[in-house]
Amino acid sequence: MELDRTLRRDISREYFSKERLAEHHYRSFNSFLNRGMQEVVDEKATIETDIGDKEGEEPVHVELGDVRVVTPRVREADGSEELLYPQEARLRNITYSAPVFMEMSIVKGEEGDQRVVDSTETKIGRMPIMVGSEKCNIAGFSDQELIEIGEDPADPGGYFIVNGSERVLMTSEDLAPNKILAEYDTKYGDEIQVAKTFSQRRGYRALVLCERTRDGLLEVSFPSVSGSINFVTLVRALGLESDEEIVHKVSNDPEVVKYMLENLEEADVQTKEEAIETLGKRVASGQGKNYQLKRANYVIDRYLLPHLHEDGVEEEDVRINKAHYLCRMAEACFELALNRRESDDKDHYANKRLKVSGDLMRDLFRTALNKLARDVKYQLERANMRNRQLSVNTVVRSDVLTERLEHPIATGNWVGGRSGVSQLVDRTDFMGVLSHLRRLRSPLSRSQPHFEARDLHATQWGRICPSETPEGPNCGLVKNFAQAMELSQHVEDEQELKRELASMGVEGIPGLESIARTTADD
Amino acid sequence: MQRSDVPDLERCPECAGRIRENNAERLCEQCGLICTEDRIDPGPEWRSFDDTNESQRRTGAPLTRSRHDRGLSTEIGYGSSSRLTGRKRRQMHRLRREHNRARIPTKADRNRVYGFTEIRSLIGHLSLPRSVQEQACSLYTSAQKANLFQGRSLEGFAAASIYAVCRILSIPRTVEEIVHEAKATTNELKAAYDALNRELGLPVGPIDPTQYLPRFASKLDLDTSIERHAKQSVQRLLENRLIGGRNPCGVAAGCLYAAAQHLETSVSITQADAANVADVTPATVRSTVDLLGECPMN
Repeated sequence: MELDRTLRRDISREYFSKERLAEHHYRSFNSFLNRGMQEVVDEKATIETDIGDKEGEEPVHVELGDVRVVTPRVREADGSEELLYPQEARLRNITYSAPVFMEMSIVKGEEGDQRVVDSTETKIGRMPIMVGSEKCNIAGFSDQELIEIGEDPADPGGYFIVNGSERVLMTSEDLAPNKILAEYDTKYGDEIQVAKTFSQRRGYRALVLCERTRDGLLEVSFPSVSGSINFVTLVRALGLESDEEIVHKVSNDPEVVKYMLENLEEADVQTKEEAIETLGKRVASGQGKNYQLKRANYVIDRYLLPHLHEDGVEEEDVRINKAHYLCRMAEACFELALNRRESDDKDHYANKRLKVSGDLMRDLFRTALNKLARDVKYQLERANMRNRQLSVNTVVRSDVLTERLEHPIATGNWVGGRSGVSQLVDRTDFMGVLSHLRRLRSPLSRSQPHFEARDLHATQWGRICPSETPEGPNCGLVKNFAQAMELSQHVEDEQELKRELASMGVEGIPGLESIARTTADD
Repeated sequence: MQRSDVPDLERCPECAGRIRENNAERLCEQCGLICTEDRIDPGPEWRSFDDTNESQRRTGAPLTRSRHDRGLSTEIGYGSSSRLTGRKRRQMHRLRREHNRARIPTKADRNRVYGFTEIRSLIGHLSLPRSVQEQACSLYTSAQKANLFQGRSLEGFAAASIYAVCRILSIPRTVEEIVHEAKATTNELKAAYDALNRELGLPVGPIDPTQYLPRFASKLDLDTSIERHAKQSVQRLLENRLIGGRNPCGVAAGCLYAAAQHLETSVSITQADAANVADVTPATVRSTVDLLGECPMN
């Protein structure tokens, strides 16, 4: 059906409206300010110190509470503080940033007999604020008001101002984490099947590989263990013990079962205890036996598939889930070997995730907070050694966090060794700004061919502009959003989703207190 | 009292205003006179590209007063190529640790590190510029060299160095303000500041109450016209030599209050408000107002 011309114009005007052009940036940043920051602080929760290691000394730790950001303001050398507007920050070459406050309490004493020495909300540093976000001073201003304070009403926002220069955080296009990707690989000239997962939780990223070697045996490798571990051993260590259980959890397909039985025949351990022992020998060879067991358990709970962990879920349940997950990876390998499925397409847009400003700022804030915590620990120990009164205000140095937040945005050298994350906003013309704010970058090296990654993929339809990409080495690696693109955000509360899945009949979801089953006749 | 008395600090040769530097020139903030221009561009002479990991830098950061070793120290890194394994790695780990320990060779160095950390934290809390940090650190070092630390507290000296630099640079910060953020107590700060002033001969005079005017005016949300009028009042008091012995904060607050009353704008402030921002009692404000009444207008 042909749309009326005026209707078409209305629709395109909506899509080109100022609010939509950089919307992904400030939506992401707003959710970082509203939830992300507090989540990062809650992950950290406490700062432990070494005070109390000595005889006759009471242990001290710091508890972190609510974090709060106000709107940008500037403090002059003479001590007066005023609201800061973006244009002033640009002209005076200063940073458009807002003070961050956090509740901290110093707690003294043993477990059970603890008392709070000092508890205050203190300024921990300054957070650069995105122009146009909720915490921006121009939020909610009318066009006339914007003109009065020297802002351009047509400016889409979505960038930061650090030392007077406007910096936009490049959206980066990464491979989806926590997803099984099956593909072929070659090892010593033979073709093997591999199932990969980038398991990611709280900024920690671990690659877990499950390979089917040329003799049909499954091997798993994950960080902190050099080389690879037999699949059956690992699954037994996680609590899937009997042959039948393991086979059943992998697949019911007779051909896969056959492959699986070959694996079980070769298995050198039969029980969970034996399996953990074997693992212990791998992760802490040459150490005492008790330490080996401890280390093996630690490695399983810490480094293997960390994304399956969740707050308030028993370690035992998580382990079984990890075993199930490994079985899914095994199944993927076998199916690939039997030509039941094709290898996964890494360039498929369903296998991509975009990291927008909020996600990047979260990474930054996490490392900055860790640095601050280390400094607070050091300052507390120093103050204690010099017999000073311990107070929150004097042990927090606000320049630590500020520097860690501003420096990466100013230089583009992000945490984790990525560079060029922040770029100077292209102000050649208005179109340049719009295009720059909607640009995304693939982390693949531009010096290598990567022909498939550069190609236009059918799944980019409606999401990525098919024609806007630079010529030359960056061709196809730097892309731009399509005009009608909508970026979805991750869900706030996964519990609801899980409850829904459980009510549809999915079994064995841990961390669900009560599943209210509604029967058909209800 | 005259600003030009303060040496060590460059002033505009024409109007004695403050001098600001940017990349290419140094200019007066008040009259815009360009004192020097076409300086050598201190930036890098190379460009770096995203893909090259090797930095083309040939020098380190500039020397700084705010580090105990002036920023000249070596660090045992982790190397760029392959990671070390086994014995070699353990050996490097030990070397790194010993090397880090050796970075602070003497007790005096350790005291300097401690003081500089405290200065840095204070600068951050008080939002003072970096140049103040540099100067405060070098003042701290001078105090250490002059053997002033004995029997006084390091925290006190850290705070006092900052206070002294603020006084030298005419940055209106009060002792109370600094003590509020510092580890030192008021007595420690005062003891240290007295020692600095006596032994090192700080180039400071009495505080000019006009320094406080912009700050109090913005806190009280007053118009610039009121601030200007208050400034004239302060000048008048100065010329008639009526200020001696009075708290400069109180004088500034009193003049602001009087100016606000005089100009009769819609915003009216109380003496208590004015006293509050200046951290003085209303009586102090009142006495200044009385003083202004005695002093005839030109």
